[in-house]
This record gives sequence, structure tokens and C-alpha cells, in this order.
Amino acid sequence: MSTREITVTVNGRKRTVHVEVRRTLADFLREDLGLTATHLGCEHGVCGACTVVVDGQTERSCTQLAVQADGREITTVEGLAAADGTLHPVQQALRDNHSFQCGFCTPGFVMSIYGMCEEKKAGRPVPCSREEIREELSGNICRCTGYQSIVDGAEAALAGADGGDS
Amino acid sequence: MAGGSAISGLVGASVHRKEDRTILTGTGRYIDDVQERGMLHCHFLRSTVAHGRIVSIDASAAREVEGVVRVFTGADMSAITEDLSFAQPIPGLHSPSYPAIAHDVVRFVGEPVAMVVAESRYIAEDAAGLIEIDIDPLEPVMSTTAGLADGAPEIFGDVVPGNVVHTDEQLFGDIEAAFSQADHIVEQSLDQHRWACNPMETRGGVATYETGSGQLTYEASTQTTHTLRFLLAGWIRQPIHQFRVTANNIGGGFGLKFSAYREDVAVCAAAKAIGGSVKWVEDRNEHLVAAGAAREEQLTLTAAVKADGTLLGLRVTMKLDAGAYPINPPSTVYAGLVRTTLPGPYKLPAYHFQHHIVATNKASYISLRGPWAVETLVRERLMDKIAETCGISPVEVRNRNLITLDDQPTKMITNVTLENVTAAETFQKLVEMVDLDEIKREQEDARREGRLLGFGVGTFIEPAPGTQEFWAAVGFPFGSEPCRIRIEIDGKVTAFTPQTPHGQSHETTLSQLIADELGVGFDDIRIVYGDTDATPFSMLGTGGSRAATMASGAVVYGSRELRKRVLEIASHILEASVEDLQIADGVVSVKGAPGASVPMAQIAMGCWLAPEQMPPGTNTEMEFVANYDGEGGGFSQASHACWIEVDQDTGKIAIKRFLVVEDCGKMINPAVVEGQVIGGIAMGVGGMLLEHSAYSDDGQYLTATFMDYLMPSAPELPEIEIEHLEFESDKVVGSRGVGEGGTVLAPAALLNAIDDALAQVGRPRVTETPITPTRMLELLGVIEKE
Ligand code: FES
Ligand code: FES
Repeated sequence: MSTREITVTVNGRKRTVHVEVRRTLADFLREDLGLTATHLGCEHGVCGACTVVVDGQTERSCTQLAVQADGREITTVEGLAAADGTLHPVQQALRDNHSFQCGFCTPGFVMSIYGMCEEKKAGRPVPCSREEIREELSGNICRCTGYQSIVDGAEAALAGADGGDS
Repeated sequence: MAGGSAISGLVGASVHRKEDRTILTGTGRYIDDVQERGMLHCHFLRSTVAHGRIVSIDASAAREVEGVVRVFTGADMSAITEDLSFAQPIPGLHSPSYPAIAHDVVRFVGEPVAMVVAESRYIAEDAAGLIEIDIDPLEPVMSTTAGLADGAPEIFGDVVPGNVVHTDEQLFGDIEAAFSQADHIVEQSLDQHRWACNPMETRGGVATYETGSGQLTYEASTQTTHTLRFLLAGWIRQPIHQFRVTANNIGGGFGLKFSAYREDVAVCAAAKAIGGSVKWVEDRNEHLVAAGAAREEQLTLTAAVKADGTLLGLRVTMKLDAGAYPINPPSTVYAGLVRTTLPGPYKLPAYHFQHHIVATNKASYISLRGPWAVETLVRERLMDKIAETCGISPVEVRNRNLITLDDQPTKMITNVTLENVTAAETFQKLVEMVDLDEIKREQEDARREGRLLGFGVGTFIEPAPGTQEFWAAVGFPFGSEPCRIRIEIDGKVTAFTPQTPHGQSHETTLSQLIADELGVGFDDIRIVYGDTDATPFSMLGTGGSRAATMASGAVVYGSRELRKRVLEIASHILEASVEDLQIADGVVSVKGAPGASVPMAQIAMGCWLAPEQMPPGTNTEMEFVANYDGEGGGFSQASHACWIEVDQDTGKIAIKRFLVVEDCGKMINPAVVEGQVIGGIAMGVGGMLLEHSAYSDDGQYLTATFMDYLMPSAPELPEIEIEHLEFESDKVVGSRGVGEGGTVLAPAALLNAIDDALAQVGRPRVTETPITPTRMLELLGVIEKE
């Protein structure tokens, strides 16, 4: 079993670790770092449950290897809420809109919507209409909700993301 | 409202969900998040042959792999387990028992043939690849027609003669007379495809055996901890008092996680044999191939109707493709549900129903959100066809046949009393909300522009929870629902429910009810679920949209009993009569004299620590198990309208608008109700337009990834408009379930809209699902049917 040493910053914490070269980034986060918020719904790149932010971009963590993350900065759902438990504005918007049910897809949606909000804060174009939000979220599957409540939450989160708050 | 619900305050409000903080911060404990000390991982090797005899299996190379702890072949597993048996004393039911791991015959692609337990999932999968298995193929049976054909291979030999798991026919009323009086005979058939629950979290469990004490704990992704426990205990030879089943966060179920599966047996048995902890989490590919799928039924309806569209009688035949192996509940329950529910909210004087449940070489037929749904789908499409035959509108045909509140109480032809059923009223409201003339005009305008629009409606009743009579007719128990409620030593409240919520928000809704009934803060209540050591027994767990009535009733009655005890004690302390007391924010006070008060915490502490010092003659037990019988139960109901546009070049169907008028009685939390309705509709739409659990003729499974099995995503689904009626009954608990109805009714409204579009271009109705773009082009006559 061949391993390699990598250095990654996960949710602001830098760590240097040995990983098996064939280990996926998702398994590395979940099994090696114990960050089980990132879920696996398909392990073949379709459902989006494993979405994390890598160097500012939302990416699937199931279809890349941990070694590819060497030197990069990763944010998972565990990294969003404040230390005192205060929800991130994206999480709060989703909560206010009763966006989710079973919660399995949720970390992926939270990260996708967080990614959209970060884009907006950086002044880049983001979806405005509900239809555009639906398109933007087409890479995340939710079996419970029918998406309407998630679109409600995303709309509210985007409206609140104006660069002023964190 | 008489007898009325004293429920007020939080109940009826879209209170923030208790569950959300956990799920939004990713701090839940789904099955793959579980990490036990020294935990091993397993992987199942699965058959790639649909039907065949295992000639040999050689696992020696797999056993040599470093990190592999144990390999179980079918023979190894059968040495330590009993075969799974779901047999029940149902006349004529042929329910074969079967081993956890096949060792003789394989009967579907995906059937487990070996299990590797190793230090990691990666190693287990590697090692499984080294197992050599030789299977002599037999001819597979891949449809009900093939299974019933003369000379078809009998896939369970004489255990299931002729592959017929069960057949029965039932006659209600004078069907011959009905047909002899008919002005028209209207026929309609539907061949529904297989589609699947596909919760975003697949199946899985972690079994932990403590060698010292002999205790086994199985933490599972299940909808029903108690049933899983009693089913598994016998098969894994574990004394049930030494067996605990738990569940934490569950990433969706939709009916799939109601049964116990052979993998559950193997995982528990392996943990016992090895003496430690074993985790099983299937991946999506395994899930799609092996977990089972639903809805594969073929129905033919023949209706006797009068010239004005009045229904006189109905003959129905159903064939259900059960797949190979039975699971829980027995497939007769599905047939019973379809038979009993099919007349729906319509007057029907005579009815004949016949079914054949047929074993085939596919994964098991399982429950999927409203497992009886095909009854509404075929009935609502039949109503449209009757309208067309009689030259009246789809609205008129329903108005002429629907049972209204004024007609009730009345009996369905299937001997089920209907009372307080408002399907007709929801339909009335729906019709008021749409302009049918305008829809016609828009369709005509569109046709002139070369565009094709369609419009469809439907209505139904949902046995949520149903009634004693209903479930007796189906052949399934209608159990009461317990809840244990405890006022803790500090006045806060813990309630233990046998529900196993997996998205239904019971932590929120049950807390709302308790808060209102007991006068304690919403945040001062905790709902405990998913632990057979802690929660009272129920066979049903979460399923069948029962909780809104049954779990609610249990907490309401339990809270009222504890409230009574608290008030009696307080009346001594405050020297006031019970009628003059109120509880708010956990404080009992005399109405109009706010100074005269005693905190519930003080009463609770006295009761727990020094009951002998409490007022004599009072009941100081601060814990109570309530059992709610459902007050006779009841139905929820809805009507849907669906507007579509068909792209005649691509065959793509876009849903332009979707309107729901629903009545689930008193809503506990409207946001939760709407979430269930919309989520249910999304599933129904996905099932009709995109999803297909497909097999090739030789039994290979064709849709083993989300690239092939298409799940609906956000852009494919419409914004859904909902109108609530909230009919108030005289029951203490006037809330009805709403979990399944969206999935049951939406396909009917959608297919009626598609038929409407097809009719405008002179094309025949849909007879087969799913309506993929290719199928739509065939229906439009743009391309030839393959
Ligand atoms: S788990 Fe990564 S996309 Fe589904
Ligand atoms: S909330 Fe269950 S999958 Fe999205």
C-alpha cells in the first residue's frame, strides 16, 4: 500500500499527513480527519453530496484523490458556523426557509450555496432568478424536498450576501 | 369544534425545525459516520448472473489478502444463521425462505454470494475481486408474462408453483348487473415500470458484539428499529433480550428501510462470529442493483358506465412483478392496498378485483412512498377516459361520481366507512382556482403557434393513517401508537417515541404538541427515538404517514395525563381548584392571580426525590406511557392540477404549473406539511418522466449509476402552489398524514395532462411508463416504437 505525505489546510487548520495514494479526498476527510459532514451519496460524481470548497472553488470530493489536494485549502461544512455555534448566514437562511428534511444531501447544498455567495461577494456574476438558481443547483440531488424550499433558502442567502457580512 | 383540540400556540405555526442545527452543521450521525473501536468493514460480492446454479466458489485467494479478517461464503453464513423467512399465515401465499448469502441458486443480478470482512472497505473490495465463483446459468424469468407462461422455468421450484406468489379475486356488489345496465364499456390499461426509492443515504448498519456480555447492538439506517430487532433476532440466533437496535440520523427511507434485509443478517452474524464491530454501507451502485425497486405493475380496468358518465361497475386485473425474494411486508399487502383503495372517493356500486403476484429474476419489489399508488394512477386516468367516452369534461365526470361530505358516513364498495372525507371539496376548490375556458383558449392559441400544451387533474384519498376497517380489508394490522413521556427532575420534558423519523421532522412537530399541551418551552423538550432499549414497542416505526395522527395522539394523551397530575399537585400547593390553574413557560399559576404560582420544576423535583412529601392522594409518577388508538383513524385527501408543454421535436415534457389543494386536517407545522407535499410530488414526477430501474432481457441490470438512473434535479421540477383546506373533525387529534400523497397523486395529474396533449394531436393515450423523451416521440408518432 503506497502512501504519500501531503500538507493541506482544512477549515483553517494546516495539517501534514501520510495518506494512501488511492484514497479519495472524501474518504480522507471523513475517515482520516473525522470530518463526517461531507457525505457520500453516489461516489461517482453526480449527486453533489460530497461538495467541498477547494481553493475557493466548489468541487466534488468523491472523484478526486487526497494527494491531489496537497498544498491546497479546503473548506467543509464543519468550517462554516462560528466557534460559539452561531450559524453561518447561509446556514441560517436555509434554516429559516425549512430547506431540508433528512439532511443527507444538506452539506453538499450548503457548500454549493456558500460557494455562490462567496462568488457574489467577490463581485462575480451569480444566478439571480429562481430559474437560474435551479440551474446552478442542478449538480446537487435531494430526494426529500423537491428543491423548492432549497431554492427559497438559496435566494435568501444570496440576497444577504453583499460582501458586508461574513 | 366539538370535543375539540385544545391545541393552540405553537401548533399550526411553521416553527423552526429542531433537526436543522444538526444537519446544517454536519454534526449528525448517519450510518457511515459511525466509528466503533476496532471496527471492521465489509463488502458483498454479488452475482452477475440473473438466474443460475452455483457450481463452485473459491475464496482462498481473498482469505490470503493482508487486512482481510474473514470471508463468508453462502455455506459459511448458513452455518451460523437461519434462512430469512417472511412467511405469514396468509391463505395461498407462497413465500420462499432464503439464505443471507446464496449458496445454491442465484436469482437476480446483485444477489450476495460472498462477504468479505476486512480492516478497510478498500481491502474488502480488493479481496472480493479475488473470489472465484462458477455459476451455471439457468433461463431467467424477466417479466410477469414470461413468469406466467406455460412451461416457464419455476424459479423457486415447487415452493412457488408456476411462479405465482399469490393470486386471489374478490367480488363486491353485483358486477354482472352493473355491466348489463351499462351504456358504455370503457377500458384502460397501464404497464408501469420499475423505479426506486433511492434515498440519498443507501442502506447500511454497524453491528457490535460484546463477547463478554453476549450483547449485540445493531445501529442501522432503518425506518423501524423494533421490527428490525425481532426479525433479525431469530435469524442470527441472538436472544432478543441481549439485542439492541438503534438508529440515529437517517438519510431518507421512503419505504425501502421498512424491511430487514439479508445484508443486515450477514453483518450481525459476522460481528457475532468475529466478536467485534462490523460496518456495512452499500455504495450507490450496489444500492441501485440490489436494494430492490418498486411499482412494477400491470393493470387492466374495464368500467361499466351510464351515458351521463356515472360509474356502475369496475373490473380490475393486476399483475405485480415481485422480483425474486420476498421482504417485509408480504406482497399480498400491496395487492390488498391497491384493491381496497382503488375505488377512492367515488361512488362505485360493483367491483371485481383480481391479482397475480409473480416471482421473477429481479431484485425484490419493495415499498415506495404510497406503495398502493397505482390505484390512483389508473383510476384517475380511467375517469378521464370515461369523460372522453361520454363527451363530458374531466371535471364533470368527477363531480358526477365523487362522494361529498353530504353523502357521508358511507361505505366504500370495499367495505371501508368513509367519514369526514373531503376529496370532493378539495376538487371543488381546485376547480374554482383554475379557469378551464382560459386553459382551452391557451391550448388552442398554442396549437396555432405549433406548440403543444396539456392539462390534467386528479383527486384521491390517502389512508393516513386509515381506519381499522381499512387495514382489516387490506390484511395488515392497524396498531395503536405508544409514547413514553417524562417530566424530568428540573421540569423539562423527554418523550420517547417508537417513530424513527428520517426527514419527517417529528422532533419538531411532537415538541410543538407537547409544548402546547404541557405549557413547557419548545427548547425544553427532547424527543428520543431510534433505540429499542429506550422507546416503547411499535411494529411500524415511521411509515405509512401514520405519525401525524398516531404519534401526535400519543404525545397529546400522554401530555394531558401528566398535566393532570401536575395540576392536582399544584392545586394543593396553591390552594386553588384545578380548573382555575394554568401552565405557561413551565410555571403553574392561578388564572388572574399571577403571584400565586409554583414552577413545574419544583413539583417535578418533589415527585422524583420525595414523593412521600407530596400532597396525599396525588399521583407523583412523572412518567407515563400513553397508547393512542387513533380515535377510529381517518383519511387525508387532495386534488392536483398539472399544466405541461410538450416539445414536439425533442419529446421533452416541461411542467409549467402545478397546483395542489390538500386537506390533511389540522396542520401541526405548515412548513413541514408543504415540504412533504412538494417532496412527494417531485418523486412522483421523477418516477413518471425520468427514473427507471431497467433490466435487459437476459436479466442484466442496466441502470446502475446516477448517470443511467436519472434522478430529478432542481431544473426539472416546477414551483408547486399549495392551498390547504384543514377540515376540522370532532376528534381530539385532527391531523392526518401527508407524507405519501404527493407521490401517489402527482403521476395521475401528470399523465392526464400528457394524454390531454396527445389527444389534441390525435394521438392515443399513454399505456406504458416512464414517459421519457424517446417514449414521448413515439407517442407523438415522430419516431417508430423500438
Ligand atoms: S458522492 Fe460525490 S457526487 Fe455523489
Ligand atoms: S433532505 Fe433528504 S436528501 Fe435532501
